[in-house]
Amino acid sequence: MLIERGYKKVRPLAGGLEAWIDAGYDVEVFEIAS
Amino acid sequence: MSKLVAWVAQYGVVIVFANVFVEQVGIPVPALPTLIVAGSLVRAGSLSFLALLGAAVAASLIVDTAWYFLGRRYGHRILRTLCKVSLSPDSCVRQTESIFEKWGMASVVAARFITGFSTVAPPLAGAMGARLPVFLFYDSLGTTLWAGTGLILGFVFHRTIADVLGFLEGLGTGAVYLLGAALALFVLFKWWQRRRFYKTLRMARIGVEELRALFEKGEKPVVFDVRGPGERQHDPRRIPGAMTMEMTELDARLPGIAPEVEIVLYCT
Repeated sequence: MLIERGYKKVRPLAGGLEAWIDAGYDVEVFEIAS
Repeated sequence: MSKLVAWVAQYGVVIVFANVFVEQVGIPVPALPTLIVAGSLVRAGSLSFLALLGAAVAASLIVDTAWYFLGRRYGHRILRTLCKVSLSPDSCVRQTESIFEKWGMASVVAARFITGFSTVAPPLAGAMGARLPVFLFYDSLGTTLWAGTGLILGFVFHRTIADVLGFLEGLGTGAVYLLGAALALFVLFKWWQRRRFYKTLRMARIGVEELRALFEKGEKPVVFDVRGPGERQHDPRRIPGAMTMEMTELDARLPGIAPEVEIVLYCT
């Protein structure tokens, strides 16, 4: 959908958030509305 | 009565139970054709409608309850594992979750009629914290409607099904080879389709090390967290600076982003 709108450099992250966390990189926490 | 029909009439309840069980486990052997054939034999008086319906519901409940508890125990992890057998693992998790959020437990009923979703719905219900009695009620209702529909279809179109069975009977052992070859071709096609999809995906993906390197070099890719609201609530962690993105708000969010900017999307 992004590519259809003219964005050429669109890439999914291999392994997603889980791979980022498993690699030991920093994360932030969303503030969830209660 | 032909040998094939006699065999189905003798073991119909067991066949229906086994087929529904195997399909709910996630193996692509559709049970609906079996239910339709069994329904045609109800019309002939060879099988009991209630026994067949009971077999289908029992098989489904056994497997679905196991999936429900796995969903409760392992949360979205089990969902991701299940979605790995789908064509699009990332969108599978997000889409099934959004269906559940939109329709609630009614989606467990509808799931029975949607290929692929029927196996994913029970662990999803567990992961989303649905209560067991409520889940069992909706799951039984969905299976009863689905299996009942198949049996009634067979009951109504019994003459056509008898003709098909007669044709297969005429083929002798060739019928077994024909059905086996059709099933093998179907599984092979799905496997090839998935393999091609993964190949394309691997070529286009960015690794976590590469993304980290982009951050360290001072390049600022736009990172979107495209998980559903339910999953973000379940695990509120995100990659630093990542923004949420719902497909419905795509056009409202994009004008602020230049087309030459690198965009990275992630799900679970």
